[in-house]
Amino acid sequence: CNLVFFRSVFGILPLLVVLLPVNSSTCVMENTAVIREKYENVLSEDINSLENMSGKLRDRCCRNKRRENPSVFFCNDTQEIRSLRNMACDLLKFFYKQKINEEFRWRTAHVSCMTLDILHCKCDKWSKRKEVSCCGNLQTILQI
Amino acid sequence: MTRLTIAFGILLFFLLHTTSGEDGSSGDEDGDDLDLETECFSQLEIKEFSHSLTCNFMEVNLNSTNINLTVCTTSEERICSTMEKQGSTYFLYIYEIISCKEICVVLESKRKDCKRVTVTDIVKPEAPYGINITFQKDADEYLIQYSTPHTRKKYLKDKLIHEIAYHEGNGTWNTIDSQYLQIKLLGKNLQKGASYEVKVRSKPDGKFFKGFWSEWSSSEYFKNAVGHLEREDKPQESNFSIGMLVVTISTVTFVLLFIIPVLIFWETRIKPLFWPELPDHKKTLEQLCKKPKKNFDISFNPEKFGYVHIHKVDGIQAKTEVESFLQPSAPLDVSEKVRNELDMKKSPTDVDKSVLKLPVTYGGFWPSDTLSEHLCETHPFILDGFSNGIPYRLCSINGTQLYNYGLMTHSSSPADLTVQPRPGPINTDTMSHIQPSNGIRSSNKDEAYVTMSSFCKNQ
Repeated sequence: CNLVFFRSVFGILPLLVVLLPVNSSTCVMENTAVIREKYENVLSEDINSLENMSGKLRDRCCRNKRRENPSVFFCNDTQEIRSLRNMACDLLKFFYKQKINEEFRWRTAHVSCMTLDILHCKCDKWSKRKEVSCCGNLQTILQI
Repeated sequence: MTRLTIAFGILLFFLLHTTSGEDGSSGDEDGDDLDLETECFSQLEIKEFSHSLTCNFMEVNLNSTNINLTVCTTSEERICSTMEKQGSTYFLYIYEIISCKEICVVLESKRKDCKRVTVTDIVKPEAPYGINITFQKDADEYLIQYSTPHTRKKYLKDKLIHEIAYHEGNGTWNTIDSQYLQIKLLGKNLQKGASYEVKVRSKPDGKFFKGFWSEWSSSEYFKNAVGHLEREDKPQESNFSIGMLVVTISTVTFVLLFIIPVLIFWETRIKPLFWPELPDHKKTLEQLCKKPKKNFDISFNPEKFGYVHIHKVDGIQAKTEVESFLQPSAPLDVSEKVRNELDMKKSPTDVDKSVLKLPVTYGGFWPSDTLSEHLCETHPFILDGFSNGIPYRLCSINGTQLYNYGLMTHSSSPADLTVQPRPGPINTDTMSHIQPSNGIRSSNKDEAYVTMSSFCKNQ
């Protein structure tokens, strides 16, 4: 999809480095230094790969969605960790529905799940289906 | 109500503890003495999108027929996967490396032992490859370069420590650690003429990724020769190449020393030595009766000597050449002039001059002041080509002036030496009869009589 879109989305993820600890029912308190370390050594590499890959795909999947509901992925919550968690969960849910490149979907889901893992958060259950939950095993994400 | 809640919580706690079994210690106390300690390592990005876990038992002789290993997540939704048995090791592909994993030993469907591992703490990189050794002559250094598969991957790029090991022959290994993909060995620290073996391995740098050393790369050999690098093949291959070299050199030497001289001297020396030719009578006679050369200059026909320049002498003058003649070097000069006279073919012009200036040959009036007793010295007169060294005396007899002196005739006795003057003006006829090839030799008796007679006539 649109490279700019992904950059605007994942560009917020660097906020992980300045996260404030949040007490959330869906997130577990984690040391921000540990979060930052995991982001710098692991997550950032996958985000770069995903951005490079998104630039090669035709821009057809996110065009309409952005116009209709631009606030889908950009939360208005003041809690940074929760915002990032919501963004990752929404991204995971969004790409499940789209008929786009399977490899790209897999990578996107991988980044989303890794983000949730670093934040020690989990998504609310919008559905009982496993595809909206990382479940610790990314292979289940694509099981439809 | 409060007490009931507390009791319920305690009961729930024990139930959860029993069912989860996450204390990380051995939970089974059935008295089994098997050592089920496992050793695991992870390999990142072993293939695209996936990593791997590899485990094996510390006990070497363990019968692993009924033993399995499972890997479970530590999240609430515990998801487990059974590792694939590959001989004595257990292998599993994984896709997520951030969260912890729990590895459990399952013996006959009973979970025996579990331990938690962090995938990023048990990383074993892939082995380096492609060692390249370059000798930098100016700096007397060996540049060792190598490659690692993780350069093209995401996580371990620039996060590895490389260990370079080298040793001489069967000596002890020396190691150098580097975070880069090249190092330099100083030539002065290496023994000249010695052969060295080099190999490399890698390990995570420990900042975020921790783990174990990789397998060693394949070894590379080099020889520290003076002034240049001699890359060595493996010892077996080097022995073979040396043998081939020796054989080649021996063959070339044999060809040069034996075969080529035989071919060169076969006709001239070897063959006549072993198969001498019988003399051919016809050839022998031909050699004896060789015809003279075409240009052989023997003829009594004066017309054949038309190319010879014979110059007529119109007059004789006493010149300063007499003084030079009286000097020690004079005779030699005269001899030179005589030689020139003999070889008229070469330089007729010079012959002309020499003939004209030859005071002895053509005579003349000796200045009186030149005549003294000092002149009564023997001047060896070497006639080149005639092999006659005829000394003569130039003396004044009773104060009378001597006229020109002729060339002395061949005489063995000094007493027989006589002065034979020659006429001053020498007519053409006389000159025409002079044979240049004979030169002085032509001053035989007949010619002397001829010149004398003509001289007397002129007088």
